[in-house]
Amino acid sequence: MQFKCNETIPERQAHVAIKVGGQCARSDGSGCFIESNTATTPGDMTERGCTYAGCRGVVGGPVKDVIQMTHGPIGCAFFSWGYRPHLADDDFHMKYTFVSDMDESNVVFGGEKKLLDCIIEANNEFPDAKGVFVYNTCTTALIGDDGGEVAKLAQEAIGKPVIFFECEGFRGVSQSEGHHIGNETIFKELVGSADLVEDHPYTINIVGDYNIKHDEKTFEPLFEAMGCKIITRFTGNVSVDELKVMHKAKLNVVHCQRSATYIADMQQTKYGTPYVNVTLWGLKEMSDALRTVGSFFGLEAEAERVIETELAKIKPQIEAFKPRLQGKRVFVYQGGPRAWHWIELLRELGMEVVAAATTFGHQDDYEKILDRASDGTLMIDNPNAPEIIEILQTLKPDLFISGNKERYLSHKLGVPFVNGHTYDTGPYAGFSGMVNFARDIDKAINSTIWKLVRAQARPVPVSVSVSSTEEEDF
Amino acid sequence: MTTVGKQERSVAINPTRACAPIGAMLATYGIHGALTINHGSQGCATYPRHQMTRHFREPVEIATTSLTEKTTVYGGRENLLEALKNIYERYHPTMITVCSTCLSETIGDDIPAIIDEFRTTYADAEDFPMLSVHTPSYVGTHITGFDNFLDELARAFPEKRRGSRVRQNNGKVNLIPGWVNPGDLRELKYILKEMAIESIILTDYADTLDGGYYDPKPHFPKGGTTMAQIRESGSSMATVALQKHIGGRAARTYETRYHVPAYVLPMPIGLANTDKFLETLSDVTGNPISEELEMERARLLDAFVDTHMFNSGLKVGIYGDPDLVEGLTRFVAEMGMEPKVAITATESEAWGKDMKALCDELGLNMNILTRSDLHEMHKLVKKYGIDLIIGHSKGKFIADAEKIPLIRVGFPIEDRFGYHRRSIVGYKGALYLLDEITNAVLSRRGSVVSNTVMDKSFEVAKTAILPAFSKNGHSIDVIQN
Repeated sequence: MQFKCNETIPERQAHVAIKVGGQCARSDGSGCFIESNTATTPGDMTERGCTYAGCRGVVGGPVKDVIQMTHGPIGCAFFSWGYRPHLADDDFHMKYTFVSDMDESNVVFGGEKKLLDCIIEANNEFPDAKGVFVYNTCTTALIGDDGGEVAKLAQEAIGKPVIFFECEGFRGVSQSEGHHIGNETIFKELVGSADLVEDHPYTINIVGDYNIKHDEKTFEPLFEAMGCKIITRFTGNVSVDELKVMHKAKLNVVHCQRSATYIADMQQTKYGTPYVNVTLWGLKEMSDALRTVGSFFGLEAEAERVIETELAKIKPQIEAFKPRLQGKRVFVYQGGPRAWHWIELLRELGMEVVAAATTFGHQDDYEKILDRASDGTLMIDNPNAPEIIEILQTLKPDLFISGNKERYLSHKLGVPFVNGHTYDTGPYAGFSGMVNFARDIDKAINSTIWKLVRAQARPVPVSVSVSSTEEEDF
Repeated sequence: MTTVGKQERSVAINPTRACAPIGAMLATYGIHGALTINHGSQGCATYPRHQMTRHFREPVEIATTSLTEKTTVYGGRENLLEALKNIYERYHPTMITVCSTCLSETIGDDIPAIIDEFRTTYADAEDFPMLSVHTPSYVGTHITGFDNFLDELARAFPEKRRGSRVRQNNGKVNLIPGWVNPGDLRELKYILKEMAIESIILTDYADTLDGGYYDPKPHFPKGGTTMAQIRESGSSMATVALQKHIGGRAARTYETRYHVPAYVLPMPIGLANTDKFLETLSDVTGNPISEELEMERARLLDAFVDTHMFNSGLKVGIYGDPDLVEGLTRFVAEMGMEPKVAITATESEAWGKDMKALCDELGLNMNILTRSDLHEMHKLVKKYGIDLIIGHSKGKFIADAEKIPLIRVGFPIEDRFGYHRRSIVGYKGALYLLDEITNAVLSRRGSVVSNTVMDKSFEVAKTAILPAFSKNGHSIDVIQN
């Protein structure tokens, strides 16, 4: 697809491809695979965030019993506070954010002492916290603060783990680098630092699920019903103590294969723990996940029993939505893996993905999209606002699944929208979550407001008080 | 005895402030067809964008220069030049704001020089309006970015009156509302219209950030102050700034550079502050205050009387931006309530003095903190047994924990719908706030029968009903814990 908006930025066409005859046909005609995980073109209106966002917001932020401390100026902490519903059975991590609040004089004279004071003060204010996660920012990295050294001193002073993440925003090309740093740091600093008292034959970790709107409540009982015991979640609804014993599980079940395969790999290398990649959304893929884990432990019969019982409950509910969603065309734009996780799920609802995009996906994500999507599907990497507008206007999908930042653009263009990042209602995972997902999709697509709004919409009224030269073409 | 202090703790816990770039971005949205380029890491554009979208529920577009590790060593010049080119060619904006970040400031990029370079290397960009605004996060707060933007705008764009035109003016008033909502901007424009005053709003994001559903969708949102109006603003008869800490400086810049007299007023929340605003407009233009506005004023007085049995003496905690907090403090005192705690994140001695003077004038006994945060606010709410708090959404955890109402004003309101459309300024804004506060109080009381309340239990009555009055007419402190 040749984007009109890319006439002045032709290099963007390397990030655009169509699936043709099962192959990736890149829109710049180069014959190479779609380009991804490379630096953003400056000024192209990217949707990407920074490395700090990936580390503080995605991987570290869900840990429920630590003081979430940003070492830097105020903005990084304010904006990363409480907007992502990575819920837990406690809400300390959602309610509170802590920041060393670097001001101009700290930038000139260094912020190490202030950081140490901040950690001690925060611990005094919240003595029940089980540790401190300290996230570095652009500012404190550039002035050369040794946050790692401060963390050591602070750990001695407060007698709890103080973990320093070198996740300054300018590292890497997207928030993806922050996920990697989060994985490495937690693995190095916490995993393996305590032992498990009781043993169990079928222990697993759920790796790469952040418990958005309590997703874990939909699938954890299924693994437990099979006979598995969950040791650690990485990192949705997890405590510091659980992270310490993560190495004790017999199998890692990896859900988000972009932000968390790193830790499964490291654990395999160091402790020999095998891992399986799964999708925990949709009827078929959730069933496959239970079967995969079942066959690893020799619990095949148990898995089949759980699947049969659950599907008997859920399938009729899903079937009820199908006639209302049949044949609808979808544009899925997510951070990474959800763009391919959901292709099968949407098919189960009778829908077809016509365009798939990720903000920070790597080559393996696009390979999985290519593998799962139908011929003719548009793939686009790190799409920017003008490209999204053009996709919505030319492909005219019946549904756009994306995040908050794109929602109102979609609304203004009259395209039904569901929030795939933080969910309109949720949870969406597992079997029962799919009913929520289907209901929200149905609500978005079949709401009566669309008929009214599309029929009633008028062009922008021309204002007489504004000079015509300034409003021309707008 | 009112005390004004500065929070001493080093660590900020639950800050009530964001950082500077978002202020410049918001202000840029008030210019028709303008775009912001944030010169820094991608997060510095994406985070504020996301925050604005959650508040306004509108698409918000901010460009970034996407600085990376390499640029921290070699500088961000090339990235900024490329971003300017891409935005200029692809969007055809009417104006571009380039705001700096911690990153670009610390590595020392000379943004004005890079903008000049773009001009010279780009044939038709010589006269294209571009503004460089200093907005590192480590200086000030979100209001600093807005204030810096306005001052840069006042220096860069208005045309100077020359020769015989120096003493002539265009008969218009420059109005600098500060950090308000689209609803407030509409109310202010309504007031100006009522008084038959032509104005130039600096800047007007009423329609750009509270837009409509149009088919086809316009390339740029409808609305906003035009660059032609901004160029003309140097010939206005006066500049009226409604927040001392946002736009007060720009108003003085208009005075010194373009001989446009400056009037820097308190934010027009409540009776006295709105009176002052309307009287100033009337003095400046010679136009009378309209009959409709007079009637609104009378309705506000009437409502003060009709609600005093519900609200008198209730203790109020207020947090947020300095001018907003100052305006709200006076207003809740006008309602017969007792403002007890006020905090702002801004470190400003001037604000502390203004607040102290306000307390002395009204006989209030307050605990006031600058450079403070919501964790401190929570402690004070508990300490004084505050009955209700007023501020933005980030304080909801305090309200939930203490089971007291949160009256939502300011930025951001992300857990309710449509607050950006409401207005708290002018007499009508005051009436809205009064209704909102009174209804929150009534909903906490047991039942409302025959226009009177019955409390749920004696427990509730102990805290919610007015304790004995002290000599100055305000309730005696009942310090809990």
